[in-house]
Amino acid sequence: MKIIACFKVSPESQDIQTRPDRTLSLDRAVWKIGAYDLNAIEAARQLGDQMAATVTGLSAGGPDLASPKLTKDALSRGLDELSLVTDPALPAADTYQTAEILARAIAQTEDAQVVFVGAGSADGYNQQVGNILGGLLGWSTLNAVHAVTPAGDHLVVERLLEDAVEIVEVTLPAVLSLTSSANTPRIAGMKDILAAGKRPVTTLDVGAPVAAGAELISELAPEQVDRRHVVIPGPAAEAAATLATYLNTL
Amino acid sequence: MKSIWVVTHDSLSADLVAGARALAPFVGAVTFGGEAVPGADLTVIAPQPPADVPLEAYARPIADRLAEAAPDLVLCGADLQSRLLAGLIAARLKTGVRNATSITVAGDAVTVTRSAHGGLAVVTETLAPGVAVLVIAPGTLPVGDDTRPAGDTETLAAVPAPGLKVTERRPKPVSTVNLATASRVVGVGRGFAAEADLELARALAAKLGAEVGCSRPIAEGVGWLPGDRYLGVSGATIKPDVYVAIGISGQVQHMAGVGRAKVIVAINKDQNAPIFAHADYGIVGDLYEVVPALTAAL
Repeated sequence: MKIIACFKVSPESQDIQTRPDRTLSLDRAVWKIGAYDLNAIEAARQLGDQMAATVTGLSAGGPDLASPKLTKDALSRGLDELSLVTDPALPAADTYQTAEILARAIAQTEDAQVVFVGAGSADGYNQQVGNILGGLLGWSTLNAVHAVTPAGDHLVVERLLEDAVEIVEVTLPAVLSLTSSANTPRIAGMKDILAAGKRPVTTLDVGAPVAAGAELISELAPEQVDRRHVVIPGPAAEAAATLATYLNTL
Repeated sequence: MKSIWVVTHDSLSADLVAGARALAPFVGAVTFGGEAVPGADLTVIAPQPPADVPLEAYARPIADRLAEAAPDLVLCGADLQSRLLAGLIAARLKTGVRNATSITVAGDAVTVTRSAHGGLAVVTETLAPGVAVLVIAPGTLPVGDDTRPAGDTETLAAVPAPGLKVTERRPKPVSTVNLATASRVVGVGRGFAAEADLELARALAAKLGAEVGCSRPIAEGVGWLPGDRYLGVSGATIKPDVYVAIGISGQVQHMAGVGRAKVIVAINKDQNAPIFAHADYGIVGDLYEVVPALTAAL
């Protein structure tokens, strides 16, 4: 049995610079595995240990995805092996294009029974690739998955909705999108990092992505509210009193 | 644009019908059980799911009905169940889902905006011909004054997909907080050394008549506050009159949730904290001194 953890590599938001014309500069941005995607890798590792399954990472992205730095980073976090789909068009792919490519890759993967997806990608954060992927595969599909327990031939899933906690028996195969607090992703130790270099990385050939669902017009920093940037001087008590005077006028 | 269909299972997403009315001459609605949705030209009523069936299990027959209707847009609410419905419907319709923050119609061209890179960017896109699925948060679409009565209804004979069985549904304690509508919010971050110290923020909030929110590490890292108090890109988005950020560094993901506050006040001991670049008023100092002094002075 294989358990698949999907993840996306995207530019680190903290490193993105805004130019005066509100366009974004990604020049200094390091490309990283999304923070919520680490939950998917951790959940796959934990369930893989409980079910004696192979844990496979799966990512679709640009050609840089295959760089040893990124593959080692992914593999050091608990994956047994890694499958990649690379295409220059994939970093900008929309939710359907991404899910459709992942569905093709999973169809090539023998005995995949569970696919984990994070709460949302670090860049688009549409929270949809797992949902669409499950629909395309025709597998049991849930989002907001907070905990997963194997129970014989199925899984028992705790689902955290806005107003309720649902306990759901899920027939396999299944695609499960996690909450952002489903687990605490492990931090790779030196041993994990060294072992990561020896684990297999496979680049899958699944063909080109389908056409995009939209044409990009612009990607700009939001118009900033003009802030006053007043730093109130003085010792704590004095500054606090000044601030209180202001707040009392509101 | 000729037609929009709204898939709704609660009163919040039913409000989408009113928003859709201003965008297209024909608005259809899909609902679960119940009656015709006011404002919709046609309401397709899917079965009210039995207790052990999640409503998302009806996504496929609903999508089949929508494929037949061939609308320009399908709108779904932003709650988690509506989001899953959106994705499953989109898979059947071979299209993507976008979290739209605005919809502009000019003839046949539909342009939408969405947030990206943790709120750092606003992406503007023109949708390709064919159907698109959009997830719409409450309050996003302007509601016109078209208050036409409900139109016809149609019953959808639908068999739920197998594979999911709800064995238990525990209502969560009713959220004590609605940060989205609060006029004043005090936000707490990792500048607080211990959970008990949050009392300082609560005392300040009580004086200000404010709600208490927090950064992601407080809710999802140390768990000092429940998730519904978390402010940021994957948490609550607020637009209060005043936001007071205490011991919060001001990462972009947090600012995406609070950046629309009218006035931002920051208290942080690190004068280089990014929060000061977003603040109207700042105090560089130890929150353990500043916050009690501020509370006392109010």
